[in-house]
Amino acid sequence: MAGILVKSYRFCIKSSLQLRSLSTRPLAVSLISKGNETLQNYCPQIKSGSLILTQRLTPQERSYSSKPPLSLKLITDRVLLVLKLYDKINPEKLSLTSHFINDLGLDSLDHVEVIMAMEDEFGFEIPDADAEKLLRPADIVRYVGDREDIYE
Amino acid sequence: MASKTKTLQLYRTMLRESSKIPSYNFREYAIRKIRDTFKQNKQCTESTVIQNQLKEAQRNLEIIKRQAIVGQLYSTEKLVIEYTT
Repeated sequence: MAGILVKSYRFCIKSSLQLRSLSTRPLAVSLISKGNETLQNYCPQIKSGSLILTQRLTPQERSYSSKPPLSLKLITDRVLLVLKLYDKINPEKLSLTSHFINDLGLDSLDHVEVIMAMEDEFGFEIPDADAEKLLRPADIVRYVGDREDIYE
Repeated sequence: MASKTKTLQLYRTMLRESSKIPSYNFREYAIRKIRDTFKQNKQCTESTVIQNQLKEAQRNLEIIKRQAIVGQLYSTEKLVIEYTT
């Protein structure tokens, strides 16, 4: 008799535990979440406080745009690419030291256009006095490098 | 030789200014016309003729500048062919 009583008692405890876990937990969770919402509605400081917290936890990201990194090799590649795409220059004759007017057969008007294409490519203006001296691709590479403070 | 630097400067400013015209057709026409006319008169040596041509170019530069501003006031959407990529 006593054994049966103990068994039934244990059963009762177990089932009540299960019941509690089934029924009251979701209720409690919903209550908490509701409480949170109302809290956030009534005092926005808490919301912003939690926002600051999450920001601190995640690493800071800046979304400013910036120029692509430049090196002398990259500048050289870009200069040569622009020159190759220019229709009056023969890509086979083109090299870093070829003179625009003497070797590549351009006239001074074409030279002006080459300089304008370089301005568009690198995004700054080249004054006329400097543009006159840039007669070889190597000169342009060095000029752009000096301008962007790149020496390697 | 003074006219050479002046001509090149004018060529450059004209191309720069005409690239500001918003309408594709007018812009491309202006650039094409400037290039062709300068190339055509490249061999010109007489100073009076050169002076006259430069004066005309200066007048046209004013027109281009004006048209760029007027075009920006009444600009429309870009054409489909203008979108690169």
